[in-house]
Formats: sequence, structure tokens, C-alpha cells
Amino acid sequence: MNHILEIDNVSKIYGQVVALRDLSLTVPQGQWLAIMGPSGSGKTTLMNIVGCLDSPTVGQVILDGLNLGVLSHAGLTAIRRESIGLIFQEFHLIPYLTALENVMVAQYYHSLVDENEALEALARVGLRERARHLPKQLSGGEQQRVCVARALINHPKIILADEPTGNLDETNELLVMDILRQLRDQGSTIIVVTHAQEVAAHADRVIVLEHGRLVQDRVGAKERVDNLETASLMAG
Amino acid sequence: MIWKMVWGAFGGQKRKNALIALTVGLGVSLAAALLGVMFDVGDKVNQELKSYGANLNIVPRGASMLTEMYLLNDEPPEGEDLNSKAAENFIPENELFKIKMIFWAYNIVDFAPYLTVPVSLGPKKVLLTGTWFNKLLSLPTGDEVNVGVTALKSWWKLDGPPGDDAAENEVLVGQRLAQDLNLKKGELIKVTAGPNTVSLKVRAIFDGGGPEDDRIYAPLALAQSLANRPGLVESVEVSALTTPENELARRAALNPGSLSRLEWDTWYCTAYISSIAYQLEEVLPAVRVKAIRRVAESEGAILGKIQLLMILLTILTLLCSALAISNLVTAGIMERGVEIGLLKALGASNFSVTALFLLELFLVALIGGAIGYALGFGLAQIIGLSVFGTTIDVKTAVIPITGLMILAIALMGSLPALRILLSLKPTEVLHGR
Amino acid sequence: MNKNKAFAFRLAIFSLIRRRSRLLAALLGVALGAVVLFGLISLCRDLPRQFRDEFRAYGANLVFAGLGSARLDLNDLKKAKGLLPPNKLLGLTPLRYESVRNRLRPYVAVGVDFAQSQKTSPFWRVTGRWPNEPFEMLVGADIALNSDLKEGSFATIDGRNPNQERYAKDFRIVGTLATGGVEDGFLFMALADLEKMTGISGVADLAEASLTLGADELKTLAANVKATVPSVEARLVTRITDSETNALTKLTSLVYLVAVVILALTMICVATTMMTVVLERRKEIGLKKALGAENNRVAREFLVEGAIVGFVGGFLGSLGGVVFAQIVAYNVFGRVMTPRLYLIPLTMLVMVIVAVVASRSPVKKASGIEPALVLKGE
Repeated sequence: MNHILEIDNVSKIYGQVVALRDLSLTVPQGQWLAIMGPSGSGKTTLMNIVGCLDSPTVGQVILDGLNLGVLSHAGLTAIRRESIGLIFQEFHLIPYLTALENVMVAQYYHSLVDENEALEALARVGLRERARHLPKQLSGGEQQRVCVARALINHPKIILADEPTGNLDETNELLVMDILRQLRDQGSTIIVVTHAQEVAAHADRVIVLEHGRLVQDRVGAKERVDNLETASLMAG
Repeated sequence: MIWKMVWGAFGGQKRKNALIALTVGLGVSLAAALLGVMFDVGDKVNQELKSYGANLNIVPRGASMLTEMYLLNDEPPEGEDLNSKAAENFIPENELFKIKMIFWAYNIVDFAPYLTVPVSLGPKKVLLTGTWFNKLLSLPTGDEVNVGVTALKSWWKLDGPPGDDAAENEVLVGQRLAQDLNLKKGELIKVTAGPNTVSLKVRAIFDGGGPEDDRIYAPLALAQSLANRPGLVESVEVSALTTPENELARRAALNPGSLSRLEWDTWYCTAYISSIAYQLEEVLPAVRVKAIRRVAESEGAILGKIQLLMILLTILTLLCSALAISNLVTAGIMERGVEIGLLKALGASNFSVTALFLLELFLVALIGGAIGYALGFGLAQIIGLSVFGTTIDVKTAVIPITGLMILAIALMGSLPALRILLSLKPTEVLHGR
Repeated sequence: MNKNKAFAFRLAIFSLIRRRSRLLAALLGVALGAVVLFGLISLCRDLPRQFRDEFRAYGANLVFAGLGSARLDLNDLKKAKGLLPPNKLLGLTPLRYESVRNRLRPYVAVGVDFAQSQKTSPFWRVTGRWPNEPFEMLVGADIALNSDLKEGSFATIDGRNPNQERYAKDFRIVGTLATGGVEDGFLFMALADLEKMTGISGVADLAEASLTLGADELKTLAANVKATVPSVEARLVTRITDSETNALTKLTSLVYLVAVVILALTMICVATTMMTVVLERRKEIGLKKALGAENNRVAREFLVEGAIVGFVGGFLGSLGGVVFAQIVAYNVFGRVMTPRLYLIPLTMLVMVIVAVVASRSPVKKASGIEPALVLKGE
């Protein structure tokens, strides 16, 4: 099987705190993976390492056949640009640019701006008509969909979403999940960090972290993950 | 609790607070320095302008209209006898110390009495003026001061030692007169005034660039004995540090009686040239004190301009630092939007949020201001030393003014930020819009 | 690549115009800095001239006299006047002293050119009015105080000229002159009237000139006059010229020093303003990095923005500076001054440099931080 991501015995230590402890994980191309776990379990750390925003203390990460450990700062930046699409809980749109321009910023840093392509991406998330609006004129759900459009514009191999629905209502949550499913169906690998059962339920595979360790790894959609009721409550 | 919060925010926004303190400090230091210099620059520039000579002229009230020009005329005017001037046409020499005893005595920089006698120097009639060169005056207060023309007429260029009041037979000769009669330094001359003839030594030739170049300047005692006027002088020139005239001073100069009680006190206790003149007339009997307009007017104009310039520059400086602070504070508020939103969500009133915020700001401003004041003090000294060669007397008035300025700058600077703060809606902030 | 360049431009422009209030803050800061920079430099450049004019209030700084005890020939004076630079000459008046009498009391009458003496001696204060008709005169304040020669009355002035011819003439007293100096004891009349009265014309005792020149220039001028017109002696009024040189040096160095300090402060203020404006956008920097932008690219964008702010602010500020310098010159010195337009590009350049340099360190710092930290709001 073609693995887009291979994580071998990775640990991440911040001073006294061990955020990830000897974690190993492989993700095949085209899989939708949900990472769950209570606060402080290391979800976001894992996410940052995969997103080339952070590097492991020990261990090795191979992303799309490239060993991240041997790459320079500039190399990591290039991977981020070429292979990864990021979606944040807090959207992080540039406030003074329109939805369209926010999408184009990603094109700009990636290669060439193409307004039509950017418009298409917005159309895919149902925001064709809102393309010329500034972020503050958009609702939270619309802003998150702009983020999704921005993440998919460069056709990344992996889309990383950190609590993408944390600030959304149910309707918008379903809309975003729908778009992610379409992307998965077109072959993108999707990794979503969440503590919400409903979100995780959309995934092909769910892993659960606790205290930096992998405690559950279940393949199979719509399957309930056990022992997480309390954890998700705590995380809320 | 509020202190805990302020203290917490203090540490949390170290960088921004340091920048605010820095800006306040810079603004205040400059403003303090400028104000310090401005308050003192009057005196300093005034001192510089003293080189233009005296600005007050004291003459006896009954002074004869006979001008010095006539003393040189070969033909004595009919009906006027040069030697018949009554004693009231003179000022007693032993009263002159009172000039240093008036309310504004400290502002009297220098003065010199004059007594002019027409004398014959060979075939030529010349004027011999007796004066104090550098007289040590003992005041009843126990103070001692040096006064006289050596300092008063600082522009004189001498080719020898300055005049000496004790060397009674040594005189200074004007450059034009010396050229005319071919006199040299060290030469002996014979001078006749009426029945008296004395032999004098030319101590030095001076170049004053004015009518005095045609005269002889001698110690006062010599002139008094030649004129047979022991213990009397004709006029006194006074150099005083003055405040530029304003409307009040102009009205008072015309008629002090027209002032109200309060105005009169203000006028009397301000170093206007007219009030100093008035006070001199109070202490010296039967004299008239005239402001020498050439010096007094010009001095006032130049001083006024320098001070205006300094005020404009100070305002500009404060404006700049207020703007910088405004930027810093606004940025700080925007960064802390969530915190402020949270406080409001927890039920804090606009007032208490504002109070918390202003308290923090004022603390920072106070620290910056204190540092700035110290810096400004140093800066004023540097300016004073490098420009005037003396330290600047930083008036105590500068401290409260600087304090007020700190408050004003900080308040002015935070106004736009306060508007943002008050209009913050907790829900919006907490939802990250 | 053209499309990308256009987009980069679009980014910069929108970042500037859509963040109106913050842009305004940065622009205002830079513009105010430019106002100060431009205004102070122009003022400092103009200051010696402005002050020199001011110092002319002290009166004449160059006097002409005849050689030795000879009187000054007015034709010689005319020749000497021709040697003075006309644009620096504020006024030149001959002074002729004559011993005269009124009702047997002796006085000194001074013949002057009233129009000129108002310029050479601006400190003269006349109550009543200045003479403008033939045979009108001013009396010194002391005379007015002690005799019945007062404003509004007529006086018969008589005397004897050097040829021992007697003369007498009626004068109307139109004003009182007060200076606090010797002038208070003189009678002042037009030189022409004095000449008509005495029957002797073409001579004076002195001539006073007021020139807006420094002591060194005046010395050269005096030497030049002596060389060209040997019968005229030109002397500096050292009391005036020395004091002026001295005071002028002190005053200008005072203002220069203050200006330097203010400029330094202003530039620091501009710098802190630019810094905060950049610091506020740390998240944006983090985001751009997360989207795959290289550090240098992000830094460049911010620096270009800083440069644009510096450019526009510098330009607007320079215009403000022209106005500011005029206002100061007008309010303080009461006259306008020609704006030094060549300072505009200079000011703009300085402001661009200040803005870029000020943006540099926070941009570098922000782009050095890992984007994950910035985005998490830490």
C-alpha cells in the first residue's frame, strides 16, 4: 500500500513536558483520519509536526516519501507550500483581504495567482457569490469554508484540519464535512483533529491519543469509539 | 484585586509597556528639557544680550536741559552757567548702593555712575567722564558686588589694562581722541578744568565704536574733584534682566496709578523694565529712571521670539509623543481584545474596565515620565553647557508642569484606544471576529 | 510572473487602504515626523537670516563720518552708499548736529532723514506724529518734560552759522521722541529744513546705516568704503556688531541643538509607531508562513509596505512642513520665508528609510517565530 505519511517512534518533549511519547503511525494515501483525545493528549503537537510547523525531538517522519528530519527550514517551508493544506479552528483569514484574495494569497506563495481558479475553489465551497466580501462580512461558517477553499486551491496531497468545526454550528459543520468528503473521494488524504464524536464519525479511521501515546486505532467508518465519552466532555 | 490585575497585565505586556514607557520617557524628557531651557533661556539669552549695554538710565529729576554737546561749545550759552547747577541736579554717590536693594535687586546685573566735565587738553576741549570701572560695593545686607563700566561696556576693546578705580590719576582715552591728538598708551597728559590742572597718565586706549571714542574716562573721584562736585554723580546706567513687556506693563509704564490693586501687585512683582524703573525711583531721591529703548525694546522682542519658538517646538514634541503613545496603546488594546471582552462578559462595567486600563497606563507613564524627567534634566544641562557655557537652572515649576504633561500625553494618547475599548462587544471578541 | 507581481502590488495596496485606521496611525506618525523634519531643517537654515533681521532692532551697525574733525560731505556719502549692497541696506540717514536756541535757551538740533531714521532706529518711539511737512520737528522727551516746547506748539529756532550769520525760523512741533538715551535731549528736524534754516547745505556730522550683515561682512564693506571714498571714514558700531555676532551664535546653536534632539525623538516615535503597526500583524506573518511563504518573502512584503507608508507619509508631511515652517516664521518672526522645495525629496527619503528600518526588526523577529506559536495566539 502507498503510504503518504509514516511516523516512526516519534517523541516530542517541551522542557519537562512530554507531548508525544514514542508514537508510530502510517497513513495510506486517500485516507480520512480523525485524531481524537482529551486536551493535552498531544493532538495538536502531532498535527504541527505533520504540518511541518514543528519538528520532533526524537524519531522520524516521512511525508510523501521525504524524510522531514533531514530537511532544512526552507525545505520544510517548501513542503508546507507544495503538499499541505491547512485549516484552522480560528480560520486565520487576513482581515483586509476579500475571500477571493485570501484564497489567492495561497496561490501567490505557491506559484502563480489565477483568479478563475480561485473563484472555482470558492464555488466548490458554495461561496461564489461571496467572493468579494471581506472576512468580517462573512459568517463563521462562511469564513471556515473560505479556509477550506484556500487549503484545497493548490491541490495538496494532505489536508490538515485542526478542530475545523470548533467554532461552527451544526449546519456549517455538515457543509464543511461534505466538502472534506468530496476531497477525500478525489484522492486527497485528510487528517482532522477533533474531540467531537460527530466529526470523527465521518472519518475512515480514528486514532485516539492519551498523554502522548496512541491508545486506540480503529479503521471503519461510523463505528463508535469507546471510552471517549468522558474524554470529550473533559476536552469541551 | 485591581492591583493584581494591573500587575499581571504589566508582566504580560512587557514589551509593549516598555515601548510605552520609552515613548513617554522620551517625550517627557524632551519636553522637560525644552521647558527647563525655555524658562531659563530668558535669563540666559538676556545675559547674552546684556552685552548691548545698559537698558535703564537714571537721571536727576531736575536735570538741566543742557546737553553735553554744549559743554564743548566754545561759547557758553547765555543765561546758563555750567558751574551753577544746583545740587538737586545731581545724585549723591553714597546712595547708589540702594540700586542693589530693590525688590528685583537680583536682576540688576550691573550699573555705573557718570559725571562728565569739560576739560582742556592742550588747545582741544574734550569731555572727561568720571565713572566706576570695577567698584567693590558693600551692601548693608552684608553682600558685596562688583559693578562698573568694565563689565557694563563689554564691547570696549582696550589695548591695555582695564580702568582701575584706585589709580586716581590714570585714565582711559577714546580711540578717536587718541588718534586726533596722537596720544599713546603710558603717555602723560595735562588736563585743565577751570582753576584745576592735573597731570594724568594714559592707562590704555579704548575702542568703543561710538561717540565715547572722543572722550576720556577717568575714575569718578578724579572727575568729582575736577568739577568740584565731591560725592555727586550726574547719571547712572543700569543693566537689568527684564521680562518682555506685555499689555499690563505698557499700561503701567504710562501711569502706574491706573492699575487695580491686583494688577499693581502683579506688575510690581514682575521684572518688567517699567516696574524696575519704578522701584529705582522709589529708593533713590529725586531721580527719573528712563528705559533705554534701543536696548530694552529689542531685548524684549528677541526674548519673546525665542520663547515663542521654544513653546512651539515643545508643543510639537508633545504632539509627536502623544501620537506614538496613542499608537502603542491602541495596539495594546487590540491585542488584548479577548481579555477585555472576557472582563466585560464577566460583568465588568465600562467604567471599571477603563479604570483598570488607565491605571495600568498611568503606572507605565509614571515610570517613563520619571525616567524622562531625569533624562530631560540632563539634556537641559547639556544644552545649557554647550550653548551658554553654564548650567541651566531648572525651575521647580517644571516638575508639576511635567507631571501634568505626562497625564495629558497619556490621556490624549489613549483616547482613540478608549473608544475602541468602550465599543468592544464581549460576544464579538470572544468569537474571534 | 507578471500576474504575481500585480497581485503582490494588490496585496500591499489593500493592506494599506483597507486597514484604514491603523494605516492612518502609521501615516500620521510618519507624516508628523516629516513635518517636524522638514519644518525644523527649513527653520534652521533660515534662522540666522531671520534673527539677523530681528537684531537690526538695536539700530545702526555701520556709521560714516568725515576724516578726523572734518564734516561729512553728502556727496561722498552718496558715493559710499553706492558701495553698500542695496538688498541688505535697511536704511541710511545722515545726522547733522547744530547748536541752536529757543528763547535764549540752548538746544541741539539734529537734522535727519525721517523716513530712513525710522528704519535705522526702529526703537524710536514718537508720540504725536512724524514730521512730513516742511518746518515740522520732533522734540526729545526730556525737553518736552522740562520746557514749554511741547507737541502742538510752535517754536522759533534761532542761531548763528559758522559764517557768523544769524538765522531764525518757526517750527511746528508735531511729536515727542522718546528713546531713553541722549536723543531725549535733542530737537529733530528734516535735514533739508536744517539746511534751509542755516543756509549751509551738503554736510553732515555722521551717517548711520543699518545693514543685515554680519560683523565680518561689515568689516570688508567698511574697508571697501575707506578705499574707494578716502574722505569718508566707515566704522562698525562694535557694540552692536560684536553683541550680535555673539548672541546670534548662541541663539542659532541653541535652536540647532534643540532641533537635533527633537528630530531624534520624532524619529524614535515614528519608529515605534511603525513597530507596533507591524507587531499587530504577527498573526498574519505566521499565517503567511504556514501557507508556505519564505521568511524573506514575508519580510520583503512588509518592508515594501513600510516604504510606501514612508513615501506617502513623507510627501504629505513635507507639504505640512512647508505650512508649519511658514506658520512658525510668520508667528515668531512676522515674515514669510521661501519654502525650500529641494528638501521635499530629502525628507521623503529619510522617512522611507526610517519606516523601513523601523519595520525591519519586528518583521524579522515575527518571521523568525514558528508559525504554530503565533497562530495559537501565544
